[in-house]
Amino acid sequence: MMGLALREGGFDVVEAENGEEALAKLGSTAVDLIVTDLNMPVMDGIRLIESVRREPALQRTPILMLTTEGSEVKKQQGTAAGATGWITKPFDPDKLMATVAKVLG
Amino acid sequence: MENARFGDRAGISAGDAACADGRIRRKRLDIGDVVAGQGSMTLHTLLGSCVAVCLRDPVSGVGGMNHILVPSSTTDVCWTTRCGVQAMELLINEVMKLGADRRRLVAKAFGGANVLQGFQSPTVGELNASFVRQFLQDERIPLVAERLGGISAVTVCFYLDSGEVIVRSVDGSRLPAILCKEATYYATGATSRFRIEEPILF
Repeated sequence: MMGLALREGGFDVVEAENGEEALAKLGSTAVDLIVTDLNMPVMDGIRLIESVRREPALQRTPILMLTTEGSEVKKQQGTAAGATGWITKPFDPDKLMATVAKVLG
Repeated sequence: MENARFGDRAGISAGDAACADGRIRRKRLDIGDVVAGQGSMTLHTLLGSCVAVCLRDPVSGVGGMNHILVPSSTTDVCWTTRCGVQAMELLINEVMKLGADRRRLVAKAFGGANVLQGFQSPTVGELNASFVRQFLQDERIPLVAERLGGISAVTVCFYLDSGEVIVRSVDGSRLPAILCKEATYYATGATSRFRIEEPILF
């Protein structure tokens, strides 16, 4: 669904099923923005962000967390890991695109 | 036992039942609701052309159900839980949040009857049934049981502790009320009362 929204917004999208697969793809594909879910098999969103932030080339890449989780504790974990923003599902596609535009400057 | 619920209404409503200690053991889902839980909890709903998907991880015993009105709105992708894509994604997320492993999830799907005759062709029920089958196939979640289509409204009762689902055809006397409710929701489309939170930038 996220991929659909971004593609409709004119973006090229590379998709991964979990954090580990995302890390592998990030190693071979340059991206301007990372959008990740929190609850994923194999490697969750927080661990993915922590791993991404350890990569020098990806330390400044914006990362948006898109999740059904809306608790302050989870958001703090996201901030601590290095997330740029937090979008709670269900989301409004217009607000999503506005947020993407904002973080891409 | 934990449970979580999304939808147009929150908390305990008519048709729900709680244990002496306050834990909800029987929960009724209405159009747009998504509920997940585990243990001795029963989820039940009433379906006409709507569809409900029951997901369960047989190892953790975590399961959940949604109640989908339409696959998407007629003009655009629909972004509320009345619509299939959003409701399915939220359901998967909610059961995972309670400890289900996405790779072990199995699905059962019900509803999608042709009760809104004359609305369109294919009917809303057919579109819903088709959406659910395609979505589960795309997401590689096995559809292990289904009763989709037909002309009868049904009640669905999903027992989370065993994964069993009991489906019963509804007698004709309840059909006008179901039709009225689904048609009203269908007509209002995406003008949902569902609250969408503002994105946060840290």
